[in-house]
Amino acid sequence: MQGSSGWRLQRWLPELAMLAALLVLPFAFDRWFGSVDLFTRILIWGIFGLGFDLLFGRTGLLSFGQGAFYGTGGFVTAYLLTSNTLDNVWLAMAIGIAAAAVFSVVVGFLALRRVGIYFAMITLAFGELSYFLENSPLANWTGGENGLPGVPAPSIAVGSFKYNFAGSWSGYQLVAGFFFVGFMFARFIVNSPVGAVLTAIRQNPLRTAALGHDVGAYKLAVFVLAAIFAGCGGVLLGIFQSYMPPDAFALDTSGQLVIQTVIGGAGTLIGPTVGAAIWLTLRDLLQQVSAIGDLWKFILGLVFVLLVTFMPNGVVGTIVRLWSRFRPRATHAAIVAAHPDGAVAREALLAPLPTASARGAAPSAFALEARDIRKAYGGIRAVDGVSLALLDGCFHAIIGPNGAGKSTFLRLLKREEAADSGRILLHGVDITAADVTAAYQYGLAKSYQINQLFPQLTVRQNLRIGALGRHRGRLRLDIFRAADSFPKVEKVIAALLDELGLTTCADLTVNTLPYGEKRRLELGLALASRPSVLLLDEPLAGLSPAEREGVKQLIRNLRKGRTVVLVEHDMDAVFELAEQITVLHEGRKLAEGTPKQIANDPLVKEAYLGGAAMP
Amino acid sequence: MPTLPQFLSQAFNGIALGSLLALIASGLSIILGTLGVLNFAHGAMFMLGAYAGFVVLSHFDSFALALALGALMLLLVGFATERGLIRFYYRRPPEDQILVTFGLGIMMVEAVRYIFGPLSQRVPLPSWGQGIVDFGFFLYPLYRVEVIGFVAVLLLGFYILLYRTRIGLVVRAGIEDPLMVELLGTHVRRMFLVVFCMGSMAAGIAGVVYAPLAAVIPNMGESFLVQCFVVVVIGGLGSFPGAVVGGIIVGEILSVTTLFDPAYAQAAIYAVMTLVLIVRPRGLFGTMGRL
Amino acid sequence: MSRTPSDRNSKSAIGKTAVSRRTLMQAGLGVTAAGLLLRETALPAFAANYPALGTFPAGTSGSSIFIGGVMPLTGPYSSSGKDMQLGFELAVDHLNNGSRVTDAIPTLKKGKGVLGQKIQSQVADSETKPDVAIQAATRFIHDNNAIMLTGGISSAVSIAMQKLGQREHVIYMVGNSGSNDTTGKDCQRYGFRAQPSAYMAAKALAPVLAKELGKNLKAAYLVPDYTYGHSVYDSMKEFTEQVGWKTVGEQLAPLGTTDFSSYLLNIANSGADVFLNVAFGADAVTSTKQAQQFGILSKMKYVVPNISQFQAKELGADIMGGTYGTQAWWWTEEDKFPLAKFFVEDFEKKNSYKPRWGASEIYIQMLVWADAVERAGTFYPVEVIKALESGHKVNSIYGEVYYRAGDHQMVRPVPVVVGKKPNEMKGPEDFYRIVDLVPGEQVLPPLGQTGCKMPDIGA
Repeated sequence: MQGSSGWRLQRWLPELAMLAALLVLPFAFDRWFGSVDLFTRILIWGIFGLGFDLLFGRTGLLSFGQGAFYGTGGFVTAYLLTSNTLDNVWLAMAIGIAAAAVFSVVVGFLALRRVGIYFAMITLAFGELSYFLENSPLANWTGGENGLPGVPAPSIAVGSFKYNFAGSWSGYQLVAGFFFVGFMFARFIVNSPVGAVLTAIRQNPLRTAALGHDVGAYKLAVFVLAAIFAGCGGVLLGIFQSYMPPDAFALDTSGQLVIQTVIGGAGTLIGPTVGAAIWLTLRDLLQQVSAIGDLWKFILGLVFVLLVTFMPNGVVGTIVRLWSRFRPRATHAAIVAAHPDGAVAREALLAPLPTASARGAAPSAFALEARDIRKAYGGIRAVDGVSLALLDGCFHAIIGPNGAGKSTFLRLLKREEAADSGRILLHGVDITAADVTAAYQYGLAKSYQINQLFPQLTVRQNLRIGALGRHRGRLRLDIFRAADSFPKVEKVIAALLDELGLTTCADLTVNTLPYGEKRRLELGLALASRPSVLLLDEPLAGLSPAEREGVKQLIRNLRKGRTVVLVEHDMDAVFELAEQITVLHEGRKLAEGTPKQIANDPLVKEAYLGGAAMP
Repeated sequence: MPTLPQFLSQAFNGIALGSLLALIASGLSIILGTLGVLNFAHGAMFMLGAYAGFVVLSHFDSFALALALGALMLLLVGFATERGLIRFYYRRPPEDQILVTFGLGIMMVEAVRYIFGPLSQRVPLPSWGQGIVDFGFFLYPLYRVEVIGFVAVLLLGFYILLYRTRIGLVVRAGIEDPLMVELLGTHVRRMFLVVFCMGSMAAGIAGVVYAPLAAVIPNMGESFLVQCFVVVVIGGLGSFPGAVVGGIIVGEILSVTTLFDPAYAQAAIYAVMTLVLIVRPRGLFGTMGRL
Repeated sequence: MSRTPSDRNSKSAIGKTAVSRRTLMQAGLGVTAAGLLLRETALPAFAANYPALGTFPAGTSGSSIFIGGVMPLTGPYSSSGKDMQLGFELAVDHLNNGSRVTDAIPTLKKGKGVLGQKIQSQVADSETKPDVAIQAATRFIHDNNAIMLTGGISSAVSIAMQKLGQREHVIYMVGNSGSNDTTGKDCQRYGFRAQPSAYMAAKALAPVLAKELGKNLKAAYLVPDYTYGHSVYDSMKEFTEQVGWKTVGEQLAPLGTTDFSSYLLNIANSGADVFLNVAFGADAVTSTKQAQQFGILSKMKYVVPNISQFQAKELGADIMGGTYGTQAWWWTEEDKFPLAKFFVEDFEKKNSYKPRWGASEIYIQMLVWADAVERAGTFYPVEVIKALESGHKVNSIYGEVYYRAGDHQMVRPVPVVVGKKPNEMKGPEDFYRIVDLVPGEQVLPPLGQTGCKMPDIGA
């Protein structure tokens, strides 16, 4: 989809459909269920779920403690209003939501240090701690196990027109209004560069960081966003039923959120709402069937198990999947026609970006300098005092037998790991203490030995993650623009696709591609930031001879103006491409020089090349 | 400030409490470590064991028989669960596994409520468990003292099974690296089945042992499940010695806290759990392996 | 919202008879006009001339009325919930179809529902969660136009439902709630409570304890750490200290405690003469079992200020024998009150066990409410509330009862019981002996002390 931002109908179709649903469905609920209340409750869970879907569905962070923020928002607002501290309901609502956000900063700061099941456990623990706080020490404010009844509803007063949101239909209007705004907001996030980064984090957090995005900061941002939605849900719950229940904090509530999201489909934004609709209507309906009686919960559990087993993507997810199978794809001609062509234009687009030299740092003749780098793992000294100085624009290869420390050295250069001692300078700037994201921002990029791609994104989307990193910086919360709305970035992506020969498969998902294409994309990701220093870790690994020629040519094309460090086992390629070669052996530099010097070096021949003279 | 006798009595109580937690948690831990499945139905299995014990003891007078039949029943339940449901989930993301076991747990609890009713069932203390032991400065129920010994024997048996038999070796290797174990020719799926059954049996036996001590109601397993998570986190996910040590630690926290401020006992274990996760997520004995 | 039955009636009337169409149309118009007038103006018509309020008259203008019950059918309190449900269903049956109990109450002798309208009822599962209870109650009001609500097992749920009833102008007869706050600081004009408050239970119990166990004893308490638990503890402490008892320990057990060993160990070491257990439901069963195993029950006297419905059955008479406490009702009261005897017999015939106080509390409130409606001659909530507040004494399964207007607490006898040992039992459910049936007037808290400020009736 070219340029799908702006006022195109396709972009706004979901919002329009949602608006229509919110206008029409309440009447259906009123007719079939006797009142609109059930729908209002579904929407409250829906708001809660929008935030959770951003956190879990999009970013992959499974939290079992969202109830903590749901409850915080609701109770702060309920307390302010029932204790007559505040009269203005809207203000109390805002404070409640803000309180949930503040609380989430604290929890997120502690919890996000961990991933996976550890993260889930920390959030569970925080949820339980919040429940305990509500029940016991803070019972004087929260009402303990009684909760806070009597929460008033907000009203609008403009001139002589006064409207109070209490009651069944007005309550629906209030909640539906918030839901719609929340939905629009969530859609903005999903379509924005932030949304793209979050999706990337879920699929490959390490690569996302290596491509210049501050993963920790983005995670905290989405955690706080999820808490804001949760707090909003809690606030509306208390107002709608005029009662703030203590079980908002319970593990049951957080668990029900997860259940509903999985049933509905994670990653679809409305999955949690649909899941809530299924769960709540089933629960009501089953209880009303007298033949079932006390077994209603058993049947609910059974239905749930069946849904999880046979619809792994949830209801909405399954529908989305079926839909995307039948969606028309842009033709090759259309794609080619839409993009600028010409090698000159491409070259300009892909040339390295000017490096930002630090204030006061002396300009250096060396693009990359490593001084006496050491790294040991336990008793093994992987890198034992290696120094390297690369002139600007040179092509330098590092070779050596397995275990010589080449890959480790490259990882240290790229700041993926910290060296035990030594210094690394990039264009004169000391980056020894910088993290991998900062290194990328300074213009240092790496292509990996084992493909580190984003398997469920398209080729184009993969490249976009790389290009956006340098363009936007470590962290930017530009929620209100579309991910593909940077014209310069899109041009660079188009040029890259052309250069890599990936234009025809630009909109295919990576996990459907053959190995050769994936390898080229791997290279492309490193190039997307237009780095000035490029580290290539065995770029030819696993490729057939024909494919190798292609990649070698690619490297030749793209090395103009760049400093390249190449680690390879393919000696033909090394001697063809490199201007300088360093040989590592057991963590130390064995020899260094031009290819001809290295080929004739007796030490090198003995250790690595096998004794025969090289061409 | 609590006195020394008070402190010692609570410290002893912590071991008694903790040993039971250790037994339940060890089952959860090896299932988690080997299969990577966080079994949310574990609490329900504990409850099934208690009810099995109740049924046997209401017809026969033999506690040993209750244990044997309880273990057998949970072996069957574990077998059926793994073959019928869990094995389809190994390639599914972890949240799916959590949720399906959660749903299964609900079904088990409600089925039991339907069959037995909501009232608490009475399981008497075995005749050799009645009475009180006089430790000098405090009295303690004989049965609980016996439970410590009994659980110690069970855990020892578990240990021998895991560390001294071939199948145990395979299980422990599987915790470290299931792919490798499979490549080395072991029928990994069969091993998963064995582990799941072992874990379920551990929970069931714990249920039978615990039945005389508490109200036997359908919901009895719920609070134990969350406490088990705490134990497993503190001890280390997937580690059997971790479950034992973690259980004792949690038992001690629950007991000793009541000397200072009883209301904070539950909160204290969650606080410790959070601390462990932040400072040393792999727990005391766990490895930062696949988890 | 929902279609009113009067529309249906006028339509079918026109189609079915053979009178001239003109007369029929006039009749139809007349009925519709009267219906409109009934709802909106205050013009006097036949009997009813009340404005719309809450679910009145939308919920009563048909052939039946709807009463909703919210009770825990799953979750840890489901045993009490089941008992309540069965009492509820029996009350509906007796009101709709007549019974020996309703025959003895002048206003309910007709046995054809209330004010000629049969009761339709439904029970929703609250799962012991306040949030779920409120949702179910709100659904009953909005979807079914419930004219009255009942149920609620915990004080948390009851207080929340009372507030809901106040807001929606629907009368709520509290199911089970022992907290002082329910008719204290959280009292509501639309809520009525039958169960003795913690204050009443303690005031009735303390003199019996003084007499049977002794004065100047040392007492240790196990208290669940929430408002209800604190309420009972505060009241018991107040009244036992009046008879010279000394409180030597208060062990607060937090929510979710499954193993009370650490608290019981402290109690065992406290040197107390009496162990008072405030835990409820399954927690009471667990803590009592464990207390026995710790030897506490053999060296201390055991008191349970508020005994759960099935505690004796679940623990057995060998443990509960000799335990003093109060219950809202015990079935052997049938020896004193003939209506109770009918109630117990009908209940036992249907459900194969003797009813407990979960069932009786719901049952009695249904009948007292129905009596008030009959006396008011209308379902209009204001009039029904006035009838309930009037102090009129109703003959019931508890004897003569009435509500105190100031706080809506039912004035009724408080049974103080002691557990029977196995050899004292004359039947499989003969668990308790009623030591004293204390008249309600003697133990009511002074109105000024309750903290109850009744809100407006229309508010």
